[in-house]
Amino acid sequence: MTDVVAMSGLSKVFNPGRANQVDALLEIDLKVSAGTFVSLIGPSGCGKSTLLRVIADLTPPTGGTLSVNGKPAAQARADQDYGMAFQAAGLFDWRKVVRNVELPLELRRMGKAERRTRALAMLELVKLPDFAEHYPWELSGGMQQRVAIARALAADPPLLLMDEPFGALDEMTREHMQAELTRICAATQKTVVFVTHSIPEAVYLSDRVVVMSPRPGRIVKVVDVDLGARTDDMREQPQFFKKVTEVREALRGIGAGAPRGVDDR
Amino acid sequence: MSRRLRQLIAPGAWGVLVLLTWEGFVRWRKIKLFLLPPPSRIWRELRENRSGILHVTSNTGTNALIGLVLGVIAGVVMALVAQRFVALRDAITPLSAALNTMPIVAIGPIFYNLFGTTSAIPRRAVVAIVVFFPIFLNVVNGLTQTEATHEELLRSYAASDASVLWKLRMPNALPFLMTGLKLAASLAVIAAIVVEYFGGLQNGLGSRVTSAMKSSATARGWAYIAGACALGIGFYSVVTAVERVAMPWRRRRSD
Repeated sequence: MTDVVAMSGLSKVFNPGRANQVDALLEIDLKVSAGTFVSLIGPSGCGKSTLLRVIADLTPPTGGTLSVNGKPAAQARADQDYGMAFQAAGLFDWRKVVRNVELPLELRRMGKAERRTRALAMLELVKLPDFAEHYPWELSGGMQQRVAIARALAADPPLLLMDEPFGALDEMTREHMQAELTRICAATQKTVVFVTHSIPEAVYLSDRVVVMSPRPGRIVKVVDVDLGARTDDMREQPQFFKKVTEVREALRGIGAGAPRGVDDR
Repeated sequence: MSRRLRQLIAPGAWGVLVLLTWEGFVRWRKIKLFLLPPPSRIWRELRENRSGILHVTSNTGTNALIGLVLGVIAGVVMALVAQRFVALRDAITPLSAALNTMPIVAIGPIFYNLFGTTSAIPRRAVVAIVVFFPIFLNVVNGLTQTEATHEELLRSYAASDASVLWKLRMPNALPFLMTGLKLAASLAVIAAIVVEYFGGLQNGLGSRVTSAMKSSATARGWAYIAGACALGIGFYSVVTAVERVAMPWRRRRSD
């Protein structure tokens, strides 16, 4: 399988050579093959969001190599090879829902009729077809986040980058959104890099969970999750708990100082 | 609809109450006419001198409107320039603050000397200068105070500077512009009236109020003041209407 994201020896240092120098990422090797769902998990400040932003070419790496969709990250961004979702839905208040979804298509200079059709299809996919003509403030937090996902998918990019998109939602909505995201990913065959600090969320959604340690941000363990079809019942299965425990112990290892988990890079 | 009706009824009821109290107070204390005329007397003046007051009010109103439009255009254009070039923003902001503190007492006569006392230009220019500052400041804030997520989002789509301006900065600045416009609308009316005190053509509200008051025709002076009030309310209502049309996404939220 081809790798949609491939990096080796990737590092990121903020304020290099100065008193407030921070080694945010150190020697990261990571490959994300097409169609897989990978979560980055770790304590706050472990650089997981920085890693996502490096992949998105929103901040440049200070060392190592990185390719996104088979090209340099800057080119991938220019070609809109990825769609991004943030913790805040980040919808434009002044645009109706459907016009928010049309935004990336507008930037690609797609024709009016075509982008409207495409945006409505995306709203269908996230199950919000009846809210196309509403303004964002009329929607709940979970619904707004679904619009943000529809927007990220609108231009049909091969890669989705998600930075704690469900972090601000209540537990019930959150689980519902996770199920929805799994369904959407299965339907669209996207490759996803997902940042979270919720262990069950990472296990439920992912094919692989990448556990990171802070200062400097490194990968301490990669947990492969092979649980088959995701259902609500799965959340109560022993295999699910086993994987949750595996990730939790990897995270605990970080807390105790030296990482204990197997580094299977 | 009932809500809009209520919006009219409440201030209307208050207005009537104030006028009644005023009338009663003047009659009860037997206040002399040249000190404070009762509303009934002012109303009589208004009716007898209707066409004159209307004419003078429309003169001042025209000055205020033209000055307002010019000042708003200048303020928005300079704000766009200022957000594009940070170095310029740092230069323009204190300069426009200085401009803003120049009193009408000072700039009025200067402009009358420059353009001549029979020209309408000085009064409109003064209004434009007074209006400029609140518009400029508010629009600069609106153009620059965008949400971080919105900026990141557009960057992730590799949007051009022009796209960021059109799709994010300008719509983001619209509510700020409206706030500035509400301030500017009342300032424009006040400036247009006050600048007439310092010379120029004698065909506006400001000069008529002064001459009426000087000749102790207080009731007539108050009739002109009523014209000024109508002008102020008119300007404000128009801005509120523009706001409703320009920002449909805010309309239902406030209902």
